[in-house]
Amino acid sequence: MLDFIIKRLLQVILVVFLALTAVFFLIRLSGDPTALFLPPDAPREQIEEYRELLGFNRPMHEQYTDFMANAVQGDFGQSLRSQEDALQLVIDRLPATFQLAITALILSLVIAIPLGVLSAYKRNSIFDRIGVGITVLGQAVPNFWLGLILIFFFAAQLKILPTGGGGTWVHLILPTITLATYSIARFTRFTRSSMLDILRKDYIRTAKASGVPTIPLVSRYALKNSLIPIITLVALDLGTLLGGAVITEVVFAWPGIGRLLMQSLMNRDFPIVLAAVFIIALIYAIINFIADILYAYVNPQIRVK
Amino acid sequence: MRKAMFVLLAFSLLFVLSACTSGTAGDSTEPSGDNNDSTSPKKDSLVVAYEADAATLMANIDVNYVTDAQIRNIYDPLIDRDGETGDFVPVLAESWENVDELTWKVRLKEGIKFHNGADFNAEAAKYSIDFILDDANQSFYRSRWVDVEEVKVISPTEIEIITSKPFPSLIQRIAEDLLLIEPGYVEEVGLDEAAKKPVGTGAYKFVEWSRDNYLKLEAFDEYWQGNPRIKSLEFRYIPEFSARLSAFLSGEVDLFKNIPVDSVDSITNDGNSRVTEVASSRINYLALNNFYDGPLQDEKVRQAINHAVDVDELLKAVLNGHGTKMTGPLSQINNEYTETANYSYDVEKAKELLKEAGYEPESLTLTLDTPNGRYPMDTQIAQAIASQLQRIGITVNVQTNEWGNHLEKIRNREMKDMFILGWGPAFDAQSTIENLFTEVAPYSGFYDEELENEIYRVNQLFDKQERFDGFAELQHKLVEKAAWVPLWQQSDLYAVRKDLGFTPRVDEKIQAFEMSWE
Repeated sequence: MLDFIIKRLLQVILVVFLALTAVFFLIRLSGDPTALFLPPDAPREQIEEYRELLGFNRPMHEQYTDFMANAVQGDFGQSLRSQEDALQLVIDRLPATFQLAITALILSLVIAIPLGVLSAYKRNSIFDRIGVGITVLGQAVPNFWLGLILIFFFAAQLKILPTGGGGTWVHLILPTITLATYSIARFTRFTRSSMLDILRKDYIRTAKASGVPTIPLVSRYALKNSLIPIITLVALDLGTLLGGAVITEVVFAWPGIGRLLMQSLMNRDFPIVLAAVFIIALIYAIINFIADILYAYVNPQIRVK
Repeated sequence: MRKAMFVLLAFSLLFVLSACTSGTAGDSTEPSGDNNDSTSPKKDSLVVAYEADAATLMANIDVNYVTDAQIRNIYDPLIDRDGETGDFVPVLAESWENVDELTWKVRLKEGIKFHNGADFNAEAAKYSIDFILDDANQSFYRSRWVDVEEVKVISPTEIEIITSKPFPSLIQRIAEDLLLIEPGYVEEVGLDEAAKKPVGTGAYKFVEWSRDNYLKLEAFDEYWQGNPRIKSLEFRYIPEFSARLSAFLSGEVDLFKNIPVDSVDSITNDGNSRVTEVASSRINYLALNNFYDGPLQDEKVRQAINHAVDVDELLKAVLNGHGTKMTGPLSQINNEYTETANYSYDVEKAKELLKEAGYEPESLTLTLDTPNGRYPMDTQIAQAIASQLQRIGITVNVQTNEWGNHLEKIRNREMKDMFILGWGPAFDAQSTIENLFTEVAPYSGFYDEELENEIYRVNQLFDKQERFDGFAELQHKLVEKAAWVPLWQQSDLYAVRKDLGFTPRVDEKIQAFEMSWE
């Protein structure tokens, strides 16, 4: 088990390292940001002077090795625009992003798992139809559109919820629904098909035949086993929710990492982009690492492989 | 059956959410109905929405207007522009004069205090200018101030600014860039802390800043110009326009700038709201790039394009009339503006000029670069211009760029025949003409050696009349040479709560001190 954990930990480091390297070179393809920060009437020699000050005039490999040398010490440099510590700016946004992601995840699980189980157990019934309907709708509706429609309806028309911003739990409602919609659809579909597989197994038929009542049959025998593959899905989705809620955060003016990343990309504020990518990659890798461990814990075959 | 299920589901969702009444929704939402209750005490708070957060709350660092417009409520300048005319008016300065071509004397007002109780004096003024000049502070304004050699404190109410060469536009720089910082406070708490909890002499004191969320300020009761009528001021950051509009219509926000011209109706149709408009100092134009080796290096081709673009039609059809037509290089806001000849819309003349230049219109294929979303309807304008030029037979390929790339292509001189660009704030002739029509400046794509020498000569002139005449002559020559196709002054469109006393300023500042509820 220890070998397994060490191996997986090394993989986490590799993933984060590769993500940072790729993003470092990719964002530089978008050009030199110096000009965007200076007033438009700045003369050419001034632009050159700032390029030197910010280090953009040096050869790319030199910039890269410098960046990596500092990054391993947790120093991602200062924001080009506000001259504050880039990593700190990203870390400050973490609580808001966590809050939204966790709430959305809980909402998804609370709705999706019972719905998926019901759809599978009562196949072709009204519950199944609701389940399938939600799955199709949830995956088909774009986040952006759904967010704006919710704002228009509940904030601008009914005036019962705020349009956006962060602060209280009320601000959480609309972005949580928007963000959870897609996950609800995915989880429901997955739970349903996983459940259907299990319900066809011999041991379920045997249990049924020997008179095990419905509720223990579903919860103790079927659901428990069908949940194993869902762990992976939840881990993947949580990673996406934590790092990829960009659109939802922008639409609802939610002060999280996704929005900061988007703004920094538009402003070409490279140190913040890299710090944000670092944090997101790290979270993603760690969550998957934990999922792997959990998985290995429940299924010893994986450790052996 | 399935359809019925969807409806049922939608209703149940609605029911669950409707259960959260405004009573349970916490005090952060304020349905607009409450605001209009005539029995409630008079409203004295204001919420202004912006598309982005301020980069920093430290003065004199970030040139972005979103930062500047917010922090000007906390810090005062020495000199400001009049909100309507754009003329210079003293604020913390009492008066200013030229001692000689290299020396400016600025006298300061007395008895003004910073929010922390410290006195405003000549040391603070010197510190604030030195702050821009010190490259350790990485002020993005510094490039405009490099000709300032030294600031001397003559007395507690007097400073002298020594420049290394004649700097006739120094007063403009002071008005547009410089805000006054409290030196003692910055030294005491450090730059990082001062940039998060600012102290100035302005009408509003800092309360709380939640990054990417809001900035809260409260009235400074000892403000030297009197007690602000708006007592609490909040800037809220909503990046997405539709969400910003919804926040306004729901009553969460009282004021915001930059309404797209096609969304004006949704605000004017709302009973509690109005749209107010001002011709800003930002100008939009179609650059005819003669740095690029193409047909536009020929003056006649440039003149032909000027005749073939119907600016009135663009204004009416694409911008719904929200813009003020320009005919020369300067807008009417400039003190040095002079009326120049106008290239009338004349398709035949355009064709004739092209023939004289040796081109068959049908043989011409030109590229037109445009940013997307930087200026009002920019992409649509570019497409409309392309179809106008198509009328005389010219084929135009429209290339849409992300803003950062667009600017970089211009700066690296990678643009081809034509591009759309804006410039501003463009209040004075020097910064507009010098920064647009000289060889080092790539923004208009036009440069002429003879004209350039003339531009540098006029820039150094101190005599008001000579300077005016010099710039008038330059404007005529630039039009004659068809340096570009001038389009319009942008209209700044504001969504405003109907009972808010607010007059938009030409310099796009949002000064809550000037506002009140009716």
